[in-house]
Amino acid sequence: MSDESAGPREPGPLRLRKSEFPPARTLIMAIVNRTPDSFYRPGITWDHQKAMERVHEIVAEGADILDVGGVPAKPGDEVTVTEEIRRTVPFIEAVRAAYPDLVISVDTFRHEVGRAACEAGADLLNDTWGGWDPRLAEVAAEFGVGIVCSHAGGLPPRTRPFRIAYEDVMTDVLEHVLSLAAKAERAGVDEARIIIDPAHDFGKNSWHSLEISRRLGEMTATGWPVLLSASHKDFVGETLGTSVDNRLAGTLAVAAVGAWLGARVFRVHNVTETRQALDVVGAIRGDVVPARMIRGLA
Amino acid sequence: MIAAAAVCPSPPLLARELTGRALVLPELRAACASAVTRLLAAGPGVVVVVGGGDATKSWDPGDRLDLSAWAPALGRRGTPGLPLALGLGAMLLDAAGYTGRRILQAVGAAEPAAACLELGASLPAEARRVALLVMGDASARRSPAAPGHFDERAGPFDLAVEQAFRDGDMATLAGLDATLANDLMATGRPAWQVLAGALRAGPAPTGEVLYADAPFGVGYLVAVLD
Repeated sequence: MSDESAGPREPGPLRLRKSEFPPARTLIMAIVNRTPDSFYRPGITWDHQKAMERVHEIVAEGADILDVGGVPAKPGDEVTVTEEIRRTVPFIEAVRAAYPDLVISVDTFRHEVGRAACEAGADLLNDTWGGWDPRLAEVAAEFGVGIVCSHAGGLPPRTRPFRIAYEDVMTDVLEHVLSLAAKAERAGVDEARIIIDPAHDFGKNSWHSLEISRRLGEMTATGWPVLLSASHKDFVGETLGTSVDNRLAGTLAVAAVGAWLGARVFRVHNVTETRQALDVVGAIRGDVVPARMIRGLA
Repeated sequence: MIAAAAVCPSPPLLARELTGRALVLPELRAACASAVTRLLAAGPGVVVVVGGGDATKSWDPGDRLDLSAWAPALGRRGTPGLPLALGLGAMLLDAAGYTGRRILQAVGAAEPAAACLELGASLPAEARRVALLVMGDASARRSPAAPGHFDERAGPFDLAVEQAFRDGDMATLAGLDATLANDLMATGRPAWQVLAGALRAGPAPTGEVLYADAPFGVGYLVAVLD
């Protein structure tokens, strides 16, 4: 590991907007994409009104964070900076007006978009493409918001892995995300607002994604809050041999294993189901007090 | 002499930590707290907690319930092996702020009526004013959802016990059929008979039933006798 990597730290509170979340608290980041062509239920929240309705739903279901994206991960028609801002920023403004306390994340790889989103009220920059634009961290520092430090295997945004191989994928993930975390800290980002993410499927084949799922404990052992983003992704589908619409159970299994291994933020499409899975894992771990226990106790 | 007696059930769910986030059966909890408050208002020199256990023996007054037997996640505290009924009785006294002298007296589940009555008869001599906190449950076969499923004899059995508390009728408690009580999973039978043994020599007490219901198929009775 290079000297520029952030070293292990004591797990501390995760600070987002005005809230501090202790290490044992799992957070749900609900996905609402402002795209016509994302991979899961494409276009379902492309319409502004539909997207707002979805926000009302995920808030009612208990989501802790809203993640707004304006560019699909897959290759496709170019989405310019202007267009990405047009898709995401007015929406973030509207959500911020409706929900003054909701933590809003913007899923972007461009600092221009990050800046406009922060001006509109975003609290977290979800840099899924692994620091492709180093100025995103500067924006996070400038606005006092958080940043997600991800691993995309060095691939440029919106590209697919082509025969990608790692000597050891988790070592590569750790080196990269800890290096990004160190850079973010040096740029002035509050260390309690930095999250690390192995980024399942980004620059990885499905074997790699299974491996980082299995070894997620190596990431949580660093003490940095770990985000797990596996919802309906290809590695789940390839593992099960199921289409994109039949991956919820597999998604929940990945979330459960991740929660058991100490992940703290879960980026998902299904809030209620994920909350239930995480609460059961939390109760098994002893982090969550069960709702109502009667069986055998009457 | 016996200054007053209170009767409470002893389901584990009375321990607040065992039910999770939900406050289960607040009315039952309130009735138990009220019964203990009235018991302590008699100004006893000692409170004898009587409850069923594996064997008839007294436990150290400082013993407390080890909840980890029911919920390992809560961690080991208290005294392993302390009978549930005694632990819950101690818990009720603690909750009421009682710090005076106490005796934790277990009575064996298989103890015949005569032995229970005899044990009870020895208790008035413990102090000038003795309070009895009798921890025991009625039938666990009150409904199809009950731990022991439904038994049609359960309702009448529990009703007879309830009526005995209401009337201060110690003879009925003394005469409870141990075999029937066992069949009906009415684990309070030995403790109630200790109560009968303690009170039946004196004037018939006045009884008041504060709670009588079986919300989970187990009969819970809360009563005060003075």
